[in-house]
Amino acid sequence: MEVNAGEMVALVGPSGCGKSTLLNLLSGVDRADEGTVVVCGIDLQSATPDEFLRLRRSCVGIVFQSFHLVPHLTLEENVALPLALAGRRDPKRVLELLERVGLDGRRDHFPSELSGGEQQRTAVARALVHRPAIVLADEPTGNLDSHNGAEVLALLDELRVENGAALVLATHDERIAQRAHRIVRITDGAIVPT
Amino acid sequence: MIAKALFLRPVLRRPARFFATVLGVAAGVAAVVATLASSRAAVDSLQNAVLDLSGATALEITRAGGLDESEMSRLAPLAEDAWIAPVVETLALCPKLKDGVRVLGIDPLVDARLRDLGPALSERFGGPTGALVFSSLLRGDGAFVPEPLAKVLGLDVGASLELVVAGKPVSLQVLAIVPAPPGTTAFDRTIVVDVALAEELAATPGRIDRIELVPRAGVTTQELLERASALVSPGVAVAAPRNRAVERAGLVRSLDFNLTALSGISLIVGAVLVATTLATSVVQRRPTIALLTSLGASRGQIVRSILLEALALGLLGGVLGVGLGYGGAQLLASSMHATVSTIVWTAPVTRIHLSFDHALIGIVLGVVSALVAAVLPVVEGARTPPIQALKGEAPAFLGARERRIALAVTIVLMFTAVELTRWPAWNGLPVAALLSAFALLAALLPVFAPAIDALGRAVGLLRKAPVPLRLACAALSAGRRRAAWGAGAVAVAVALSIAIASLVTSFRDSVIDWTAQSLRSDIVVRPLAGGSGLPVGLLDPAILDVVGETLTAADLDPTTRVDPYLAARAQFAGQSVTIAGSALRVLYERGGTALLDGEDPTPALKQALEQHEALVNEAGAQRFGWKVGDQIELDARGYKIVRRVAGIVRDYADSAGIVIVDVEDFRAWFPDERPRTIGIHGIPPDRIAAVQASIEDALSPAFHVDVLDNARMRAHVLSVFDQTFAITRALQSVAAIVAVIAVLSVLYALVSERRADLALLSAVGAGARQIAGVVCLQAGLLGLLGALGGVLCGLVIGVVVVKVVNLQSFGWTLAFVQPWSTMISTLFVVAIACTVSGLLPARAALSARPGMALREE
Repeated sequence: MEVNAGEMVALVGPSGCGKSTLLNLLSGVDRADEGTVVVCGIDLQSATPDEFLRLRRSCVGIVFQSFHLVPHLTLEENVALPLALAGRRDPKRVLELLERVGLDGRRDHFPSELSGGEQQRTAVARALVHRPAIVLADEPTGNLDSHNGAEVLALLDELRVENGAALVLATHDERIAQRAHRIVRITDGAIVPT
Repeated sequence: MIAKALFLRPVLRRPARFFATVLGVAAGVAAVVATLASSRAAVDSLQNAVLDLSGATALEITRAGGLDESEMSRLAPLAEDAWIAPVVETLALCPKLKDGVRVLGIDPLVDARLRDLGPALSERFGGPTGALVFSSLLRGDGAFVPEPLAKVLGLDVGASLELVVAGKPVSLQVLAIVPAPPGTTAFDRTIVVDVALAEELAATPGRIDRIELVPRAGVTTQELLERASALVSPGVAVAAPRNRAVERAGLVRSLDFNLTALSGISLIVGAVLVATTLATSVVQRRPTIALLTSLGASRGQIVRSILLEALALGLLGGVLGVGLGYGGAQLLASSMHATVSTIVWTAPVTRIHLSFDHALIGIVLGVVSALVAAVLPVVEGARTPPIQALKGEAPAFLGARERRIALAVTIVLMFTAVELTRWPAWNGLPVAALLSAFALLAALLPVFAPAIDALGRAVGLLRKAPVPLRLACAALSAGRRRAAWGAGAVAVAVALSIAIASLVTSFRDSVIDWTAQSLRSDIVVRPLAGGSGLPVGLLDPAILDVVGETLTAADLDPTTRVDPYLAARAQFAGQSVTIAGSALRVLYERGGTALLDGEDPTPALKQALEQHEALVNEAGAQRFGWKVGDQIELDARGYKIVRRVAGIVRDYADSAGIVIVDVEDFRAWFPDERPRTIGIHGIPPDRIAAVQASIEDALSPAFHVDVLDNARMRAHVLSVFDQTFAITRALQSVAAIVAVIAVLSVLYALVSERRADLALLSAVGAGARQIAGVVCLQAGLLGLLGALGGVLCGLVIGVVVVKVVNLQSFGWTLAFVQPWSTMISTLFVVAIACTVSGLLPARAALSARPGMALREE
């Protein structure tokens, strides 16, 4: 499987088929037992810790199903976190993204003070703040109602276009998958040829 | 930003949790600082008893058993080189104070130059002629009384100070009230009289305790030492007062060492507690660490942030712990003074000072323990792929390899411990034996993770086990590492308590057994006791005559019944020992001594009596290698005393060497020495009370002494024994407090980690009491496991302490006795205390909203 710049790919399959595992392999938070994973030119099977750092700091943005915001940081700080970890500061970009996700008025709030939809919109902004080449989203609407889910998905797509990033999205919802350029079906841990 | 996410912001948003961790660190540090400060105060107290009184004295001239006054004339050629001051010291009981005071006899003509006393007085009375004022005040039966003592007794100049010296009431006129030097010093309980009066009170005419020298201008101490050494009689020593202070502190060397060792054990308990607190604090934020890693945080960034937190926790906990430890030491001070007073009389009140090195040790301990404790979970976290931490800890049982490693570490440490018990004492100190105790404690710690695992498996197999029990065991298994730390901290504290209890119980039983064999006199006459329960000073020789006359009047032959016990200082191979005189004929005929080997003492007593041989105590035999048949040569008051050892006796009264000879031989060498006690044997049981009353009547009102029957005498011995161990009991309380804090710290972490599980229970219908029950059950199981391990380990350490540490420190053989009641009560108390302490984290668990906890998960 290959993903091109700017492309939106949907990973589809039943629960437990391996969608999240594939995303974890792509983001470098897990390692494959066999095979090859190359992201932004980095072979993740033989990557050094520094290469993993480079991958996470400049190449990949992640949106988790259960948001995973840092509870003790404000929204603004959560969005700025990837930049701060890389030793960079770009308040303008952070504010711009918060405006884009409609949360600039709540930038000083903590995650526990937000709804699920708002937390996931913050997570989307965080995934894009460092202009990654590829955004990996694992069931980004799985914990949201249909209204909030649609809103988050639209945001992801718009921002992907604006930032020219590729988006790989895991879902078991066919309607969401239909919005992608390409659908990759997975069953029992293997990609089903189409 | 990482520090903000992991550390600063959580502290600001949840300060209670942060300060609970600080408190955990502080408790560990406090345990160590309290023990160290108490121990140091005890030794300082004994040294200051000498140094406070020596003033400007550069050198002092002494001899075991005292000096003849004629020694002063030998020093006459030094008159141009130094001020020469004779000193006599004796003890007196102050009935109004119900305690002892020191009576210091000085020569007022020269002494104003030596001590702080002179300038203080001349300042009060004005003029540059301080010495003249000083000398004019000391006359007849007068005394200078220190201001603190005068205040306590309500004395003014001209009033009478009532004392009991050698059993005789004495009234001294208060000539002056001496301003006290700043702080608490030995002066506070020292009255000053003319040396002639002191000799009279001590009933030692012509004998002085020491001669003090202060070099005049232009003479160095070294020059004075050389000149004085050339002039003094053979066997007389010239040395700095500090040497005597060090020698006196040496009397508690073993106590000091063992207290320091206890500090070491407190240090382990403290370090385990600090590690537990920190490890749980870090582990709680493992998901955040994993998230930061997945977002691009490097290992260095995470480690730096956690170490920053650990540094802050260690510093704050260390500083707070030093403060708490200092406060704790103040609480221990009275126990410590009680212990010290049973070793050396008139030690000034044990004052706790917060020294820079103790504060530094406390803070360094806090910081280092915190850093080490923080590094362990960081390393573990670095090895774990972020995805695992993001998903949450997957409860899994220990693998066979991990169990084997734990078992192997435990076995190796236990073998090391056994081997170390075989090593001899190092420089007279039981270093290897105490290392063995440390190894045993260390052997205990790896056991807990497999034990908690095994508990989880076992309960899991019991399908009929109550649900709360299964849930509690599952939660403990899931947080096995934290739980193991907590159980370990409890176990170390319990082991320490049980080891101390083993020592105290074994010692107490041995003392009871020894008193039954050795304290056989029907009536004992002894000086009145002071605050510590020990008799103050000696007995006037006339008391012996009164006792003899009373017995004769009652048709009881005193020559076969009266056993006076006398003692003097002597030297063996340059070290201080006691030579004692006792009526061996009475002991031979009436019984009243016990040999170490348990054999009948009659042949040894007969041989000592007829062949002019000696009995020695076990401590001396251990320390100097004395054996039956050896020739011992002692130096005392200019005599060379040579005696063959006829037997080694059991004795728990003195950890220094004692050589016991027949009283007639003793009197030939020391004719002016006064009895310490008088034992009266062989009174028909039905006449004991009447004879006791007759002796009391005959001695009253001329003498103020205690006339005790056998039962009361034994009770006094046990009461002094219990006082000696006052400090160890106080330390047990410190260990108990540390154990409870450890369990609380771990439970909070476990509850926090399993918050979603508890929320789920609540969501599916569990009531508040059921949830609290599960949490309390976890606490109880943790406490019970720790207490069980601690009791077993403590028993083994107890054997090492009783059989090896004690023998190498004090030279006393003790029979090991299991402290059953303490073991059972500790198990119950710790398990119950831990279960009840679970209510606090249970309350925290119940206050969380289930929906929120489940959503977070």
